[in-house]
Amino acid sequence: MSVLEILGIIVVASPAALVVILGLASLFDRPFSEKWISQLVQLAMITGLLASITILGLMLKTDDRHIPIELGHWVVLADDASSAMTSHNPHANAHEHLIYHFSLKFEFDRLSVPFVILTFVLCGTIGAFADKYMHREGGFNRFFMLYAIFVLGMVVTSLAGTIETLFTGWELVGLSSTLLVAFFQDRPNPCRNGLRVWSVYRLSDCGLLMAALLLHHVSGEGDFDLLMGTGAWPEGVARLPSSQAFTVGLLLLISVAGKSALVPFSGWLPRAMEGPTPSSAVFYGALSVHLGAFLLLRVSPILALSPALSGLVVALGLATTCYSALCGRVQTDIKSALSFASLTQVGLIVAEIGAFAWLGNRWKMPSLLYIPLIHILGHGCARTLQFVRAPTLLHDYRILENAIGSRLTLLPPQWVTHLPQTWRDRLYRLALHRGYLDAILQKYIVTPLFSVLEKCDQIDLSFTRFVNGADQDTHKNGNGG
Amino acid sequence: MALRLRHDVAENGESSLVDSVESTVTQTEWIETHIREAAGLLPAQGPITAFAFLNTLQALENLPFEAGLRRGQELFGYETYLSEERYREKLARGRIRLEDLSETLKRDLGQRCQTAVGPSGNLFNLRLSMLEYSMRMAPESELRWFMAETDALTRYREEVSPESGEIRTNETRRWVVEEILPNPASPWHDFFPELRGRQVEKWTHAQWTAFALHALWQVCREGVRNLPLVTTSVSMIRHRDLLLAATGFDCDRLLQEVMIPFCAGFLDQGLATWVLPHREQGLWKTFVSLYSSGSSVETWLRPLRAELHRLSGLTPAQVVEDSLEQLGISREDAPEYLTRELLAMRGWAGMIWQAEDRGDRIARPVPPGTLLEYMAVRLVLLRMALLDAMRKESLGDRKLTELRALLSERIPPVESTSIDQRAFEVFQLAQLQQWSAAALSHLSEDQWKSLIHEIEEFDGPSRRRIFHLAFERRFRTQALDALSLHNQEPRPPKSESPLFQSVYCIDAREESFRRHLEEVCPRAETFGAAGFFGVAMYFRGVSDAHYQALCPIVVRPRHYVIEEVVYSLAESDRRRSGARRRLATASHRIHLGSRSLTGGALLTAGLGVFASIPLVARVLLPATTSRLRRTLGSVVAPPPVTRLRIERLTEQPGSEGDAIGYTVPEMADVGERILSETGLRTRLSRLVIFFGHGSFCLNNPHKSCYDCGACSGSAGGANARALAAMLNDNRVRRVLAERGLVIPETTVFLGGLHNTATDRFEFFDLDLLPRTHIPDFETARDALEEAARRNAQERCRRFYSAPLDITPNDAHWHVENRSEDLAQTRPEFGNASNAMCVVGRRTLTRELFLDRRSFLVSYDSQLDDAESTILGRILGAVVIVCSGINLQYNFSYIDPAGWGAGTKLPHNVTSLLGVMDGAASDLRSGLPWQGVEIHEPVRCLFAIETTPDSILKIMARNPAVGNILRNGWSQLALIDPETSAVSLYEDGTFVPHECSIDQLRSATSSREFYRGSRDHLDFAEIHPSRVTSPPG
Repeated sequence: MSVLEILGIIVVASPAALVVILGLASLFDRPFSEKWISQLVQLAMITGLLASITILGLMLKTDDRHIPIELGHWVVLADDASSAMTSHNPHANAHEHLIYHFSLKFEFDRLSVPFVILTFVLCGTIGAFADKYMHREGGFNRFFMLYAIFVLGMVVTSLAGTIETLFTGWELVGLSSTLLVAFFQDRPNPCRNGLRVWSVYRLSDCGLLMAALLLHHVSGEGDFDLLMGTGAWPEGVARLPSSQAFTVGLLLLISVAGKSALVPFSGWLPRAMEGPTPSSAVFYGALSVHLGAFLLLRVSPILALSPALSGLVVALGLATTCYSALCGRVQTDIKSALSFASLTQVGLIVAEIGAFAWLGNRWKMPSLLYIPLIHILGHGCARTLQFVRAPTLLHDYRILENAIGSRLTLLPPQWVTHLPQTWRDRLYRLALHRGYLDAILQKYIVTPLFSVLEKCDQIDLSFTRFVNGADQDTHKNGNGG
Repeated sequence: MALRLRHDVAENGESSLVDSVESTVTQTEWIETHIREAAGLLPAQGPITAFAFLNTLQALENLPFEAGLRRGQELFGYETYLSEERYREKLARGRIRLEDLSETLKRDLGQRCQTAVGPSGNLFNLRLSMLEYSMRMAPESELRWFMAETDALTRYREEVSPESGEIRTNETRRWVVEEILPNPASPWHDFFPELRGRQVEKWTHAQWTAFALHALWQVCREGVRNLPLVTTSVSMIRHRDLLLAATGFDCDRLLQEVMIPFCAGFLDQGLATWVLPHREQGLWKTFVSLYSSGSSVETWLRPLRAELHRLSGLTPAQVVEDSLEQLGISREDAPEYLTRELLAMRGWAGMIWQAEDRGDRIARPVPPGTLLEYMAVRLVLLRMALLDAMRKESLGDRKLTELRALLSERIPPVESTSIDQRAFEVFQLAQLQQWSAAALSHLSEDQWKSLIHEIEEFDGPSRRRIFHLAFERRFRTQALDALSLHNQEPRPPKSESPLFQSVYCIDAREESFRRHLEEVCPRAETFGAAGFFGVAMYFRGVSDAHYQALCPIVVRPRHYVIEEVVYSLAESDRRRSGARRRLATASHRIHLGSRSLTGGALLTAGLGVFASIPLVARVLLPATTSRLRRTLGSVVAPPPVTRLRIERLTEQPGSEGDAIGYTVPEMADVGERILSETGLRTRLSRLVIFFGHGSFCLNNPHKSCYDCGACSGSAGGANARALAAMLNDNRVRRVLAERGLVIPETTVFLGGLHNTATDRFEFFDLDLLPRTHIPDFETARDALEEAARRNAQERCRRFYSAPLDITPNDAHWHVENRSEDLAQTRPEFGNASNAMCVVGRRTLTRELFLDRRSFLVSYDSQLDDAESTILGRILGAVVIVCSGINLQYNFSYIDPAGWGAGTKLPHNVTSLLGVMDGAASDLRSGLPWQGVEIHEPVRCLFAIETTPDSILKIMARNPAVGNILRNGWSQLALIDPETSAVSLYEDGTFVPHECSIDQLRSATSSREFYRGSRDHLDFAEIHPSRVTSPPG
């Protein structure tokens, strides 16, 4: 094992160990004291951070741009089962022999390493913040348990070398986000909003799972490095036919839209502000909300194949940006205002990815993709600081007013003043109701879906009745059947 | 008052209905009047940046305390006492003693103590055991399981001693052998089949015990079987409550989705960049113009547009009336219905009312009548939501007016206690009361009836009430013991003249500071006065943009005072304030820009990564980072030498130019008043320092509730500074001398500010200090700084994140870190744990450890006249302020999620006026949990050094003070000015206090007494000379 591999394993193992330790303690109902928890969290974060920084240093020094670390094959199915079973290195065989293989594999490259470093820096800082912020709160242990799961999910997702590994991390992030939104479980609103976040996340997972399935169907495997072809990120060229690239990309786009709260799923993001401030900061200001954009960066070679697809990505990104810039203007509470501000940039980042993936390919300038990456990193840091300082807002405003010497003047959007009055009112109302997105989803997707399900239930029931043959005692048998 | 007024309003309303034949204008007048009256029930604390401490149930202060609690509970549905478990916990920890419980119970029952209940024993014993032991209560099915599967029927409860159990078993045995077995006709044979054909003589002891319990259970069941069950009918007046009970659908949720963003937009003070259009036309018109065009996606809002067109042309009051009619609310029900609807979102409604009523307190007030318009909007939306609910419940063909009746039919009847549950309670009590089955079997039906009645009358709320009274009694006894014992022997007057004197706010936080100062420097004297020091003014600091009111919330000041840079530094000031303005404008642009599209993109993509530097630094090294920032900021800070512009040249006070300030006679009035109230006038030393106080902490929307309550939630340094400047003025001194108040020429006054979060001081106008007084000042400053370090240490004992063995120096650093830490939710504990207020000379409490639990007000009865004018003036402010603070803490502690603001963690600053929980909720009023965590909910105990006559006169003169003290919203005790004898005000009479202990605990220093302890401490005498006595 090389030094790099050991370091790579440390990066993944430190949050994993944290999850196991905190998890076992919680499982046996012997949670650690606050002091212990905070020290364990700090230890895991610092270890992970140091290891990942060292990796970055070594990669820059050796100019090694792509380091895969494989942790064994979990499932291998091949045409000729015996040959696959005996072979320890399926890649040595021509990979078209494989029907399916699932390996736990991590990749360190110029996309994943900065993202992992960002994760450790922000999670470490916010962990230290939350240690004081959550002091003596009933759910202290629960918070840090979920927090550890989240960090593990983030690390696994960013480093994932196969789409299955990515899905694992993706799920962990989703689960911990949802449970932290519903952290204050004794009030109905957090639970309701947590559930809403969860349903959108599940929809997004559907997209990702179907994309994974399709990828396997096309290429027999979910490894990014083979799928994305020759070069290390961002220079990879995908090996998919353009039409299939479009379908896979479309499915991925659904999952990206759900995870990064793009239109039309944007409604959940402001609703997710139910948890304690530090979790809102790191999840919806910095990391979780960028995960969709990260996935797009990871599969950017697919985008490059299809102009229609990248056009769609750009359109979706710009729509989200416009939508959230409009809604953000009328928000009267700081957390909603910040979440829409966050979304504005996420939309823009997505649009940048769509545009640069395609342009980079055409102009042979793949390094254009560094722009959205830098945008993500910068936006994550800046927004986290703003979220953490949100409770200081009143204090800040007072200082500003004192220095300026008058009330702060508000700058209504310029273009709005050119509209006729009724249009202005309608636009304001549209923004106040957050573009009716939730109502539209409810009305045109959720309600019809429910009525279809109810129909199915009725058909099921009447069929049961028919099979039982007895109309009069259907009530008794209905449940049993 | 609210109750009576409501009644009046109802009557007025009826008469106006009669009048309506002639006039349609007065028809809706009652609605307007009623809304204004009911608004008194809404939270009165106003914008969060100027937190006003008032009794949460202020509108009910005209009722006796307990009646007020009942009404409050009924209206709001929040708890008014802690849970029984919490009280039992306190019982176990000794915060309540059994003695307090039994004394309280005795007092409560009075004559009824000895009423016989059950086979033997009396009402007092029955209730005491109901208090002492927790009774198991369970739903029917759980109960069945419990009886069948546990040892409930084979062993006595664990509280029953083996001997006592033995006696009960033997009684049962005798009953069986002597009464049941010889008498074949006894009905009990049917109940005990095991007696039949068995050889009871051969039964073992365990078998008899089991039989005794089994028999007891059967007898109890038989006893209560035929008693009528009490059916409790819950009356619900709001549609929402009925709908929720009948269908599980909460229509308030729908309403909130529309009303919260709308109200927040309407009240917004500048958070959103796009202001609600037509806001200036008032709430109702804004709503109409926003919702009467375009169609709604939400199904339930579909009919809204047509409805708003129908209502156009009506006044808001008429809209309310129309809605009431359509909702089927009769004229008698209407006032109560409106009150309930108003309280449904009391945070927002309360803020609207404050913005309407106290427009001087916020930047963008709203016009009068807005609360009524809010009600109009609410009822229209409510109708939309109800129509939608009716459609979903397939009631679409019915009328809205019928809805309440229809829903009432659907609500399943409320289940009262079942026979088994009743029997089970008697079964448990019988064991504790030592009643055997034999004894119970002889009870008549009437006796059973009265037994059950007595048990059920003493239900949960009644028990908690007794617990609470006992809890208060425990603290009261300790406090009055301490005051009596400490003042047993009159203290010889100090022969030495004081080195220096300092005056503080009455705040409970200053108690520990003053104690430490007197320990550090025994020749220092301290005084307490309401922290605005009689200088009620609008004040604007040198770097402030606006005036702010520095006086209690009930006062509207007339005078204006500003701080300005001395003339010689004016040029430098101009440059620096220009730089500050440019920097701030830039940073405001960045603040808004980071949230916009293009600005945000440039900022985050370009510079975002650098945000990680302040992020990491501020989280990990808060105090160091803030010192660095301050050093950098000092480049543009205003020059250090400033003066107050305090002398007025014009006739009338005003906010500009020569109209700013006070005239010399007015200054003399202010000075005379404060020197008389504190008793300083006859004993002035060379140096007298007034300390205002304030709290400086970051990341805390509730910062203002840590500031000075007597300065409307601002820092009171400017008041102290102004007062010192006035009293140092020779012209003022001459006027005072003419009035007989001679200030020695050698006396110099100084103003200062005590930062209660960091325990640091700031002194004002030191450049004016005469050379002769510099040594005096330096002595005082050193003593103050040492006292501050010790005070920080005493405060740290309550912070779990500070080690118990922290040194004074480390403690000082620790509290500074706390105040600068973005993540710190408890920068300090404010006035939490306040429980009493001593009004009198400092000698009453000097060298007494009061654990930061007492407000201290200086008052010298010898300087007062026969009518107690001075005391009346003091109490007029102090009783209202202290009981307001105390009750606000009490309610926020007792039901933190209801009366209080809940935990701070999900708080979300909204409209720059308040906080919501998470993404959207009602505005949270009250104190956050982190601020009240260490509080103990007891009503404030006023201990006043005066005579019964004087206090009764004052209570009669000042109705607000009278209401609070007479109706029991605070407790009252008197300390006789001559003999120092303590008496307690109970039911209108003054009862001499009898000490429950002979001697107070004592220690040689405060430090020695509190060392190693986190919890509340007893009172103790701090005597540097005496040796420590063992705990008493």
